[in-house]
Amino acid sequence: MRTARRAVGDFDVRIGGRSVETPLGKQLQKAKPTVILDLHTHSIKSDDGRAKVQNYCQWIRAKSVPIDGFVLTEHRQFDFESDYSELASKFGITILKGAEVETEYGHVLVFGVNEGLYDEFDFTTIGLSLENVIEKCEKHGALAAPCHPGRPRVGMVAHLEEHGIPNGVRIVETKNGGSRGNEDDVAAKMAEDLGYLGIGGSDSHIVSHIGRCATRFPTTLATEGELVEALKAEEFEAISNKH
Amino acid sequence: MPDTVSNIGEVEFGSELPSFAPDTSTDNTKRFGKYVGWDSPRFTDHEGARKEGLPGAIVPGVLSQGFLGAMIHRWAPDAEIIAIDTVFRAPVLADAPHTITGTVTDIDEDEGTVEIDITITNEAGENRVFGTATAKLPK
Repeated sequence: MRTARRAVGDFDVRIGGRSVETPLGKQLQKAKPTVILDLHTHSIKSDDGRAKVQNYCQWIRAKSVPIDGFVLTEHRQFDFESDYSELASKFGITILKGAEVETEYGHVLVFGVNEGLYDEFDFTTIGLSLENVIEKCEKHGALAAPCHPGRPRVGMVAHLEEHGIPNGVRIVETKNGGSRGNEDDVAAKMAEDLGYLGIGGSDSHIVSHIGRCATRFPTTLATEGELVEALKAEEFEAISNKH
Repeated sequence: MPDTVSNIGEVEFGSELPSFAPDTSTDNTKRFGKYVGWDSPRFTDHEGARKEGLPGAIVPGVLSQGFLGAMIHRWAPDAEIIAIDTVFRAPVLADAPHTITGTVTDIDEDEGTVEIDITITNEAGENRVFGTATAKLPK
């Protein structure tokens, strides 16, 4: 194994060597990989989205937004056509795709969409069955998570009294960059009461709102499949960068 | 970044337009209503608006768009506003403090146009209105 030697401040650190003895070196050796993704964003592909994906990337870099990437969760659709790999490579940003569908419990993020799942139900329909969406996601290796559950009308909490507690929910969005008032508190309380895990996403519709909330994973991930695996591993943390 | 710009070359990606607090008073909405021929209580009278199921009198959407346009012209007096595209997420309540903000998120130097993220937020920092504006500046 090749060993490089580099001076960092007052410390000498061996990179790639077996023995790392300096305090900083020990810290580096212990450091685990993490990735922070904004799990809920919209581009001009959504009817109310006003952001171009390229401008999201420019913004993240220009403003040093503390995220490693984002998931485009367009409303009532899955965008099979767009290929953002060149943008991702150019800016060094992970760009993944998901969807935001509408159920009787409000809006729901879907991660790991594939053609098999897309054929199971009509993404464009409002009033889908949440339990059916969850069941079909499980069948096709995807994952569904109700978003902004504390929001009136389009959030899950508003529908619990009428429909009861749905089966199959494990994860909900507890930090949403577009929340008003106490919506995030309502979401967090529901998650605590029902034993759900929380993710974060900005719900950005314009460029400058990306990264306001996000999710930190104790792993690296670069594909939709790895994102679903990381969510199913249930080791993540919702974070907020709202000022 | 100066408070005003005169041409596209002076605009930087990510720069913020000078924000301002719009006059959301019912006096102003009444004045606006008089000019445009709207005298609905939903814009001019809190009690009347509540009777219509609103939380109080609200600022008309086109007046909000006017505030957003005013911000752009304060920043770039020679700009031609090509479009103001807004999403009204929640009402802008009259007689309540709000802040208008704008941020440059795209520049097309060939066309001489800029795209600006625009928002109207209330005192709690909630986005009531957001969208984008496109403005053409002299080269």
